[in-house]
Amino acid sequence: MSNIDPGPRLEQATQPSSVLPYGSELTSATVAETRRGKFVRSLTSTGMLHLLLTGMSLLMVLPFTWMVLTSLKPAGEVNDPDWFPSSFQWRNYLDVGDKDNPDPQRRGVDFGRFYWNSLFVAAWVTFLQVTTSAMAAFSFSRLQWPGRDKIFLMYLSTMMLPGLVMMIPNFQIMINLGWVNTFTGLIIPGAFSAFGTFLLRQFMLTIPSSIDEAAEIDGASKFRLFWDIILPLARPGLITLTIFTFMGNYNSFFWPLVMLRSEHKYTLPIGLMFFDSTRGQSTHLLMAAVTMSVIPMIILFVFLQKYLVRGIQLGAVKG
Amino acid sequence: MTLDTSTNQPGDAQSPFSGQKPEFPVMRPDYTQDAQALSKSARKRQRKNLAYGLGFLAPNILGFLAFTAIPLVIAMYMAFTNWDVGMHNNPERREPLRFVGLENFIRLIQMPQFWQYLGNTLFFMMGMPFSIAGSLFAAILLSKDLKGGSNRTWTILIAGAVLVASTLMLVAWGASGTAMAMLIAGLTGMILIGGTAGGTTVYRTLFYVPHFTAGVATYLLWKKLFVPDTGPIAAAVQPVLTSIEGVVRASPPAAVQSGFVICMLLGAALIFLGLGRLRRYWEDGEIGAAGVLLSAALLMVPVALVGRWYGFDLYAEDPATGSRSMDLGWGSIWLLGSTALILVYHILRALRADHEFVEKRQPWLGVGTGLMFAATVMVAVFVMIGLGPVFHNLPTWATTGDGLKTPAWLADVHWAKPSLMIMGFWGAIGSNNMLLYLAALTNVPQELYEAADIDGASRFQRFWSVTWPQLAPTTFFVVVMGVIGGLQGGFEMARVMTQGGPAGQTTTLAYFIYKEGFETGRLGFSSAVAWTLFLMVFVVTLFNWKFGNKYVND
Repeated sequence: MSNIDPGPRLEQATQPSSVLPYGSELTSATVAETRRGKFVRSLTSTGMLHLLLTGMSLLMVLPFTWMVLTSLKPAGEVNDPDWFPSSFQWRNYLDVGDKDNPDPQRRGVDFGRFYWNSLFVAAWVTFLQVTTSAMAAFSFSRLQWPGRDKIFLMYLSTMMLPGLVMMIPNFQIMINLGWVNTFTGLIIPGAFSAFGTFLLRQFMLTIPSSIDEAAEIDGASKFRLFWDIILPLARPGLITLTIFTFMGNYNSFFWPLVMLRSEHKYTLPIGLMFFDSTRGQSTHLLMAAVTMSVIPMIILFVFLQKYLVRGIQLGAVKG
Repeated sequence: MTLDTSTNQPGDAQSPFSGQKPEFPVMRPDYTQDAQALSKSARKRQRKNLAYGLGFLAPNILGFLAFTAIPLVIAMYMAFTNWDVGMHNNPERREPLRFVGLENFIRLIQMPQFWQYLGNTLFFMMGMPFSIAGSLFAAILLSKDLKGGSNRTWTILIAGAVLVASTLMLVAWGASGTAMAMLIAGLTGMILIGGTAGGTTVYRTLFYVPHFTAGVATYLLWKKLFVPDTGPIAAAVQPVLTSIEGVVRASPPAAVQSGFVICMLLGAALIFLGLGRLRRYWEDGEIGAAGVLLSAALLMVPVALVGRWYGFDLYAEDPATGSRSMDLGWGSIWLLGSTALILVYHILRALRADHEFVEKRQPWLGVGTGLMFAATVMVAVFVMIGLGPVFHNLPTWATTGDGLKTPAWLADVHWAKPSLMIMGFWGAIGSNNMLLYLAALTNVPQELYEAADIDGASRFQRFWSVTWPQLAPTTFFVVVMGVIGGLQGGFEMARVMTQGGPAGQTTTLAYFIYKEGFETGRLGFSSAVAWTLFLMVFVVTLFNWKFGNKYVND
């Protein structure tokens, strides 16, 4: 405790400083340590570490705290400097979805609809993309056929292309197919992914090939090999890709932005932007909407982070 | 299981394909068959393999052709035409497409906005050294063993004591009412207790959440955080500005303005030291000639631009009193002049190096190291150049009008980009980079640290001589990915938060492509921009391929 003096350290609790973690140990590095000295030293350094990590975490958490507190404010208090509402307005969360409310300060948008649209599109894209990617990855990693590696290289090289290059012609294709402002137009182009194929191929390559041989000796067809053996073994990869794809689509902005025209088809990000541009003054409702779209992601992340962290560290970097 | 026995032909091991799959051992005795039957079965097998391979690939490759390959060809074609939605997609006009050759690209290069938007994109990327350093710092903290065994109870107790103390301090300090102090203290306490109980996972989760949730929702959140005057950020910064204003008012203007001089001195010192380091790298044989020249050129960028920002007016005349005072032009002259001298000095020193040794190595050696180092120093010089005028103008700002007020953040021409970079920094500390660093840190051999300890290395030395070099491949990867992402980035922020404004200050190339392609409808031109962007990404990727591995081996 003695080395935490109240005044200047106060700011350092929220401002990570590189001086702190080293300072406590630099001076005593060469001192012959008694057992007690070592104990105290490790105690203060662990304590410092916790304080520093907490300070940084606080930085991360404060904007979300403001978001939640503001979403609970009465309409008149949104511009108050005070973070706390004078009374917690839980009904803000209901008002977000009430687009026919006669009171303009309580009028929301068709939020439930946006939510449902987002989940619908994301679920379909995820299902299709994981399926097609798993099949392609199986073909690229477990089957031997002429020209395989050349085609895979072609896939890989398209991952390098900025998605923006393809957006404009793709939109023209959508116009010609008549898919503009339809969910089909959102789902089908998203159902194929070079990234997903690559990620799952990497996972499938880690499965030992002796398994294939054993299956072949047992007379299993390629379909059985795929369905009964490789897919279950590639489960961590499948889960990782599922989360990546689902989150990516839940958050996807560019494509829905250019594709969707009618309000009842908006997905959540487009809906949020629509909310901001039409009812932008109702910050309390907007923050309630933002909270409702962010919190599920946080919860999902907390429970599934094991898979995500592994997927990212495997060298498969999102975006 | 019996459906597909035909694939298990005895002659399989000798099929032409056996060479391609050495992992398949010969499982069965080799039946001697006549050669014709063998090759027939081999061909049958080959066809079967191809059918299976393509069968599994079919759904994906059809989509790939339809939504990647074909659009690619169309995009290539588009870029050389005058395709315009108003002219060619309009049923009334249906004009034939005209092939215009390189016209789109020439127009692009001649367009001042393009250079502004490219500058914006590069400007945003200057946040990278900060965010990468933040990620590395977070990763190092998270890699420590926090479960200090018997110390844990003590840690919790100390944490609790700190919590109480900080609460009391905050209450006494009274930032903006006790409620706010209680809030921060409560949050700190919750995180601290969670972290003490749950270890690094809790902290890691909290760090990663901003990155994970990044999207329209968090951009809208930050848009509201950045509301001028009444927003929480403005409210938090205003007291700080007010106290600065008090200090500035109380001190003589010349004292404050000396900050400008200090910034200029520091800027020149950074250039001097940066070039010196590069020269030593070169003399020690760590960087080749091309690497040094490119890095040095990168380091010169701020100096080349300073004249544009500061101008060359040496004196400013006050219209009210007619008195003349020194102006920013001195800064331009100083930086240009001192850099010229520094260059001459280092070139002269370099000429005295052992040339036989220096000239023998490959020119491109270590170019990644050099560029990364130069880029970091460059950002620091930019910071100095940016801070200089702040000190220069501070006395005027503090004494005129309402005194020091928070800027309009996203609506302020000078502050829009830094505001977005602050937000980016918030999201980037706990990003994938942190996870990659965390994974890389666990792979650093423990013996190296032990050896460093035996040599009596301090923590600081341990970091620079063990951790940092060991993390070099990760850093290189992170930087390359950051540059590739940064070149294509900024669309969502611009669309959601600023509409690319004010005055195009936050329009990046990605948003420019969107605007041209989907708002103005100049598809041909927009495709040309997209391909130009691709070219830049491609150069970075090539750079990565060519030098990434070499760097790793260093």
